[in-house]
Amino acid sequence: MKTILEISDLSHSYGDEIFTITDFSFSLKEGEITSIIGASGIGKTTLLRIIAGLEQPVEGEVRINEKLVSSKNFILPPEKRNLGLVVEDRALFPHLNVKKNVMFGINYIEEKESLAREYLELFKVLDLEEKFPHEISAGQQQRVAFARALITNPDILLLDEPFAALDKKLKSELHVETKKIFKEKGLSVILVTHDEEEAEYFSDRIIEFQENKIIVR
Amino acid sequence: MPFFKIFTIWHALPILILLLFFSPILIILFSLFSDYSENWEHIYNYVLTDYIVNSLILVLGVSILVIIIGSVTAWIVTNYDFTGRRFFEWGLILPLAIPPYILAYTFTGLFDSYGTLNELAGSIFNLQESGLFFPNIRNIYGAILVFSFTLYPYVYLICRTAFLNQSRSMFEVGRTLGLSQKLIFLKLALPIVRPALIAGTMIVAMETLSDFGAVDHFAVSTFTTGIFRTWYGMYDLTTAMQLASMLLIFITFCLVIERTSRRNASFSTISSNFKPMPIKKLSSQQSFLCFLVCFIPIFIGFVLPILEILNWSLRFNSGFFEKHFFRISFNTISLSVFSAILCTFIAMLINFSIRYQNSSIIKVTNPFLNIGYAVPGLILAVGIVQLFVFLDNNILNSFDGYFVTGSIFGLIFAYIIKSYALANSTYEAGYQKISQTVDDTARILKSKGFNLLFRVHFPLLKTSFFTSILLVTSEVVKELPATLVLRPFNFETLAVSTYIYASEERMIEAAAPATAIILIGLIPIFFLTKMIRASRLEDKR
Repeated sequence: MKTILEISDLSHSYGDEIFTITDFSFSLKEGEITSIIGASGIGKTTLLRIIAGLEQPVEGEVRINEKLVSSKNFILPPEKRNLGLVVEDRALFPHLNVKKNVMFGINYIEEKESLAREYLELFKVLDLEEKFPHEISAGQQQRVAFARALITNPDILLLDEPFAALDKKLKSELHVETKKIFKEKGLSVILVTHDEEEAEYFSDRIIEFQENKIIVR
Repeated sequence: MPFFKIFTIWHALPILILLLFFSPILIILFSLFSDYSENWEHIYNYVLTDYIVNSLILVLGVSILVIIIGSVTAWIVTNYDFTGRRFFEWGLILPLAIPPYILAYTFTGLFDSYGTLNELAGSIFNLQESGLFFPNIRNIYGAILVFSFTLYPYVYLICRTAFLNQSRSMFEVGRTLGLSQKLIFLKLALPIVRPALIAGTMIVAMETLSDFGAVDHFAVSTFTTGIFRTWYGMYDLTTAMQLASMLLIFITFCLVIERTSRRNASFSTISSNFKPMPIKKLSSQQSFLCFLVCFIPIFIGFVLPILEILNWSLRFNSGFFEKHFFRISFNTISLSVFSAILCTFIAMLINFSIRYQNSSIIKVTNPFLNIGYAVPGLILAVGIVQLFVFLDNNILNSFDGYFVTGSIFGLIFAYIIKSYALANSTYEAGYQKISQTVDDTARILKSKGFNLLFRVHFPLLKTSFFTSILLVTSEVVKELPATLVLRPFNFETLAVSTYIYASEERMIEAAAPATAIILIGLIPIFFLTKMIRASRLEDKR
């Protein structure tokens, strides 16, 4: 299988002294789901932000599809990386209805309306297309966020605690549905979570961030 | 239960005050149903189109400029780290201390053919007399500039708060969906704060339509100058009221949009898991550009007028602090402080009623009491004069001549109606900080009614009480049109004195009262600055 993401000797710090990530190397294969687990503040989200191009590493390189996207001296902006991002707080655009939120990343495509409907149906929120984010439940908001991220057909889907704000029943419901979709579409996914059970359910591989060491399972 | 037990003084008070506040406004609106005189026909045929078109051009021009200045500066200070950012955060509201009419007076002093800046530019560039460097400012475009550079802080303040409440993750997702850093502002940040932007712009539109001093000085025919001319030129109060009704209907329309937008503004943060935006460091070139963008509005709206007033003051020599100045200062301060205390007491009683009775009648009444801030001072004055004439002719006719018409009561009444919203918001904020358990405990200890108000609430709300007095005082000091119309014969205040001097082109003598107005106008800026500092989220970033 083709390697889609290659991280080599990555280090990152805030300020001069405190390193959140040190000499981290990792690769993600096409269609693979990898989870990153670890305690709060250990650098999981920072790693995701570096992959997304929202932060520049202090040392090391990040390559997507063999193309250099981040290094100490270079950073390709996030909008040019073809990634999907789903975060805990959903980050839906409050001034746009559900359909327009989903179409946001494909505005240049002619068949955007039909594509949006297809993804809304996939995530079972088609009947909510005219609603605004504040008019729907947290679970429904998360489904819309997934639809919005997937519709652009991203090379890598980055998930930052996407199920953390949901209740247990809703969470397990979404786990089953989203995993099925990821596998069907052959998506390459990096999931950041603090929930070990969730990581085990989803992942082909788990990377555990611990203080001073990283364990790959 | 007997009616009087359910309907107590705490229920009656807000309704009574609502009736008092609304009576001058209703009198104005009723004039629409009275006969239309020949003067109305003349106005309708020859000048009404001018009033409407000029008012619309003014509002449109000012709205576009304040949206640009207010939103861009708010975005810059919220998201970028550049030289002077901490100063600009509060410095950008400084122009609020200068009423539009004073900026208009200083602008003519600066940009008229013999104005300070035109003379300076003429001597630097060796221009002939006809070759003016700065164009004539006494027109509608000059008025647009004046309103824009004094009123943009309303949009700045509301946008800054909205930008601070935008979550970082929303913009990050936007970036991954294809938006560049610049497009994030135009396609995400700005559309998301649209309700707040509309609310701020509507406040500016209402202030622009309410102004009399600046448009009168620039000889721009608008509704307010038309109302004034109809009354004082044609001596036709009914037609003036009919004109005022039209303006009032238009302002009510703006008010409805403003209120609706304010309600919708709450949708800017839908998540409880809020992550503030990180502040981006800029290169020295970018930093200089941001500095310039933020400095220009302050320079035009605050520094330039201050420099011109200083220039007048220096030319005024020893006459600056003369007897007349002290007399009008005393008139202004005593009148505004008295009105502020009264207004604050009313706000305190109403807010206590809401808390104490928890009655839906009072809760519904209170927002309507705030309507005064949207009603132009001139319209209020026209309504009050008509109300007082009615009272003098029908109820107080046992007194010789007019008892309330032309008295100081009219001024105080107008000031209270106009400033109630300010006092009310201060008290509302104060009451939010007092837990309901304080009341419950006090009531178990047998403290109720006035006892609860003065023994428990008043000491806890002392800060709100004095803040309200200071804010209302500074607002009242600036009020020009209502004071001009309602003042007793030969009674001058700082605003009226500035207006009289400026209308007689005695700019140098206008320096002293104008300086005093600006100094008092800095009081709310001090409070706003404190609020801005408190709202800074850097520590959490």
